[in-house]
Amino acid sequence: MPLGALYQDAIALLEAAGVDVAPLREGGRKLVFQADDGTMFITTRPSDVPTYVEAGAADIGIVGRDVINERRPDVYELLDLKFGGCRMVYATAAGEDPTPEIIARLGVLRVATKYPQVAEAHFLATGRQVELVKVNGSVELGPLVGLADGIVDLVATGRTLRENGLVEREEIFHSSARLIANRVSHKLRAEDIDSLTARLGQAVAAEAV
Amino acid sequence: MSGCARSARTLSVSPTDAAQPAAGQLPSGARDVLPVEAAELRAVEDDLRATFARYGYREVRTPVVEFAHQLERADSGGLDRAYRLFDEAGRVLVLRPDMTIPVARLIATRLSAHPGPIRVSYTGPSFRVPQPGKPVASEHRQAGAELVGADGPEADAEAVLLLWDALRSTGLEHARIGLGDVSVTDAVLDALGVPPEARGRLARAAEGRDLVAWRAEADALGIDGPARELVAGLPAMRGHAEIVEQIAATVPAAAPACARMARLLELLDQEGLHDAVLVDLGILRDWQYYSGLVIEAYADGAALPVAQGGRYDGLAARFGTPRPAVGFTIELEFVHRALAGSRGRRPLDFGLVLVGGLDLRQAQAAALRAGGIPVIALASGDTRAEALAAAEGWRFVGHPDGPAVRILDRADGTTRLSSTPLEDLSSLR
Repeated sequence: MPLGALYQDAIALLEAAGVDVAPLREGGRKLVFQADDGTMFITTRPSDVPTYVEAGAADIGIVGRDVINERRPDVYELLDLKFGGCRMVYATAAGEDPTPEIIARLGVLRVATKYPQVAEAHFLATGRQVELVKVNGSVELGPLVGLADGIVDLVATGRTLRENGLVEREEIFHSSARLIANRVSHKLRAEDIDSLTARLGQAVAAEAV
Repeated sequence: MSGCARSARTLSVSPTDAAQPAAGQLPSGARDVLPVEAAELRAVEDDLRATFARYGYREVRTPVVEFAHQLERADSGGLDRAYRLFDEAGRVLVLRPDMTIPVARLIATRLSAHPGPIRVSYTGPSFRVPQPGKPVASEHRQAGAELVGADGPEADAEAVLLLWDALRSTGLEHARIGLGDVSVTDAVLDALGVPPEARGRLARAAEGRDLVAWRAEADALGIDGPARELVAGLPAMRGHAEIVEQIAATVPAAAPACARMARLLELLDQEGLHDAVLVDLGILRDWQYYSGLVIEAYADGAALPVAQGGRYDGLAARFGTPRPAVGFTIELEFVHRALAGSRGRRPLDFGLVLVGGLDLRQAQAAALRAGGIPVIALASGDTRAEALAAAEGWRFVGHPDGPAVRILDRADGTTRLSSTPLEDLSSLR
């Protein structure tokens, strides 16, 4: 279970799919919760969800596509859960886009991001040289204080960008929450996982109506 | 003057000096194997070898080092993560990144006169550069078998049955074999006229195990009718024979490939493997390499498949002797990990630490060893016997007591006075 922005929606969707989520609603400081039917829930920061699933500490997990693209874990991606919609974008300071000028005159673009793998792949695919500055928070500061020419980051509404005088220049991909499964659990617990995937699929479809 | 020399020496052994590994430090992904693990790995390997031998799969060995060019004939992608080095003429060498391709080379070039079918097995290490941030070793101890020159579901069934028996022979209980089939998937896509570019995108989604991307690509193909949902859900189809029946009914052109899979399942059912096998059309590893059946085996306690394999009828031709082939590779360390997780505490080793075995009781130690009881001998008066037995995990400690031996059984803490230690210990086996 991903703590943070996806957490409440994930609980609601699991409940709609008939999963006993009562222990998760109790809250508190616990990180591991056990339901009456034996299901164990592990709560962790989203970027660690693929790690737990890949290592088999959890059979399945819920995590954003953004984390999957950044971490590239060796797991099954079973279902698009549709909630937590947001976009990975490249943004620079408002005004004329400085990118072509920087590429032409300096050859290399400096980009601040929390997603170095995603950013590198994007600029490689579009044939531009890039120097990545890995930051762990407040990426929007980068262009404002001269740390970088632009940023690659996740935006939901675009409000943070606007408030910091940044403008989206390129969309890299669309992200939403996904259901992922460990390679071995996906086979050893095939019946349980298929049944849950089907119920979640129905809950997602019902939500969309 | 002497002060300068001293500071230079201090610098050269400083732990911050990146050029000098600290004592005990190994290259990334490499590790040592200590006695208990080594013994258990050896036991797993012996069990697998014995099973291969029972089916008539004779052992072959290939060199650890090969020409990169040689292996690139078969699989350009697999060499991405190989360790490379140069020989004296500047040619590129690799440490073998897997065993399948070298064994295919061996069979195609050394056994080309064999009438076939050829049954061979192998055990040994292969090497892959570890990926940063992933807990995977650089050295993989593998065991596997290849059936070359036999086509058809009967040969596929033998490979699956051998894999199952081999895994069971190690004591693995909660295991399952997943079966995919590239030819079923290909036949469906052929019949529906899916163009090569779209097929490439589907293959990438399948190899990335991304069923969401597969569904999106399949939906974009513009197929109508029941085949639309079939293609979109193809890699998520799991179960048994009913799956291939359903595919054959929806896409009649795929019926021959489905019939072959159905026959394989029938043969496996007859061998009692119905519950052990899961048909899963999402198992689509390395589409270029496999031509039919794709096999994976799973066990509780191992986060990655304990074995992988399948049918690769095109591989031998790349070494000049075209022959159909099916086989698999078992990862010994994954099997061992699954076993270690399911067995609980390891029992003590059956053996005797004998004080005086080096001098006064030399003859007694020799007699015990000849009788099949392992003995660690100490000199008389050595006071470390109990500590040594604890460190080594041995069950018995013996002290001379007159002409007899006072034997402590560490399993239950009891002591007995024995005048015939060989007989007394043998009876406890």
